[in-house]
Amino acid sequence: MIKIPLDVRELEHPKPLELAMKILRELNETNYLYILHRKNPIPLLDFAGEQGFQCLNKEDTHGNWHILITKNKNIDLQTLLNGSFDV
Amino acid sequence: MFSQNGLSLDQAPPLSVIFRFFFLGSLFGILAGVLLFFYQTEIFDASSTAALTFTHLLTLGVMLSFMFAALFQMLPVIAGITLTSPVRRANLLIYPFALGSITLLLGFNFPTLSWLYTLSAFLLGVSLLGTIIPMLSDLLKLQNHSFSSKGMAAALLSLVFVVLLALYLLASLSGYVDGSYYVPVKAAHYSFGLFGWIALLIISISFQVIEMFYVTPPYPKIVSMYLPVGILFLLLGSTITAFFIPDIWILSEILLALLLSAYALLTLKRLTQRKRPLTDATVWFWRMGLSSLILSMLSILILNFTELSLLKPLSYIFFTSFALSIVFAMFYKIVPFLTWFHLNSQGYFSAPLMHEIIHPKTAKKHLYIHLATIITFIASLFFSPFIFLAAALTILSFGWISYQIIHAHFLYKKTQKSGEKFDMGSMN
Repeated sequence: MIKIPLDVRELEHPKPLELAMKILRELNETNYLYILHRKNPIPLLDFAGEQGFQCLNKEDTHGNWHILITKNKNIDLQTLLNGSFDV
Repeated sequence: MFSQNGLSLDQAPPLSVIFRFFFLGSLFGILAGVLLFFYQTEIFDASSTAALTFTHLLTLGVMLSFMFAALFQMLPVIAGITLTSPVRRANLLIYPFALGSITLLLGFNFPTLSWLYTLSAFLLGVSLLGTIIPMLSDLLKLQNHSFSSKGMAAALLSLVFVVLLALYLLASLSGYVDGSYYVPVKAAHYSFGLFGWIALLIISISFQVIEMFYVTPPYPKIVSMYLPVGILFLLLGSTITAFFIPDIWILSEILLALLLSAYALLTLKRLTQRKRPLTDATVWFWRMGLSSLILSMLSILILNFTELSLLKPLSYIFFTSFALSIVFAMFYKIVPFLTWFHLNSQGYFSAPLMHEIIHPKTAKKHLYIHLATIITFIASLFFSPFIFLAAALTILSFGWISYQIIHAHFLYKKTQKSGEKFDMGSMN
């Protein structure tokens, strides 16, 4: 799976949502979006969920949120997350 | 719009509800500008009909409309409150509220027609209390409060007092009660209105939006935890004490001025600690509003020790600048985002981007208009014909806002009618 990283921790609202939604439109079965966010982006997760994407959100010990979104339903996002970061 | 507390736009009301309140507020603003041509600098004499009418046009007509737009949007997403039947609820508020406000303004100008006071008391009392009390009740039932939701509850409680005190004042003016407490009730009415409702709501919302919109460090917990409740208790204590010691308001005003100045300085400092120091018009609106708050509070503080006649109207102008600047800052963040996000959520591929809904340069132009408006109001204290320019700029300022709402509404409708929908979720 190809990781599309997006670090939005220092971007002002609503830029993170705008960028993430733009990438979501271009996702396919072979890639996933990995967002690093200072907040839990609920509107984005709701939107992705409604559109049939598989999502995972986890907060790390520093208060950063790790958001994984993919179109591929057969991928275990938790495994991808564990491989990327210790949360 | 705001996602921190695990809530989504699904719980938010339709866009039309928000737009309607913004538009109504703008129309009241235009009316305020028109009436300025007739009232002129008489508005600076606090005991005049002109001042009474102009103040209520701005606080009741403009500010309350804009703040209801913010409340209808933010209560579901900041506090997690699901507003059942938001369209019906908004309609039950907006029409009697608009009619009640106009009736009240007419009542001030035709005091012999006391039935106008009675009618406005009925329309405003029923519509405002019928909306605020359920909102407040929902807020008080919340299990998990944020600092913002607690502050919003304190602000709404203040608004309940503002309305109840206003009903007493209207009953006195209509002759239903003898009005023996008119003076202390009037002092409590405007103190709760300006400090408890307007300032407290802005403060509470800022706890959430300053950090999120501008990527700043959060407010110190002691401030976000105790400032709103401190202001509320100070107002409550002063209101009760004023029935026995009327001069208590002098001490309260000094304390409130110090608290609000400290808040404004802290927020200005937070805005200097932004991680990405790109400054758009909304940051300047915040800076202008907070600086105006400091100047207004400074005028109030000095007024307690001197007789300088200019300070009173200056404190009014600066307080108005504080409230309007921040309302405009929020407007330019809320309207493009909501239009864009509602369309995206509905799946429109051709949804206009945020800067196409309201371009940042458009907001900046409004900033200059707004700044010029405030400067000409101040200039009119020294050279009264400037008031005509202030009137024209007030109309332009609110006309500008009205146009942005109409433009956003038409883009929204146009996209819904002819926009291309994308299908990302072929798995649905």
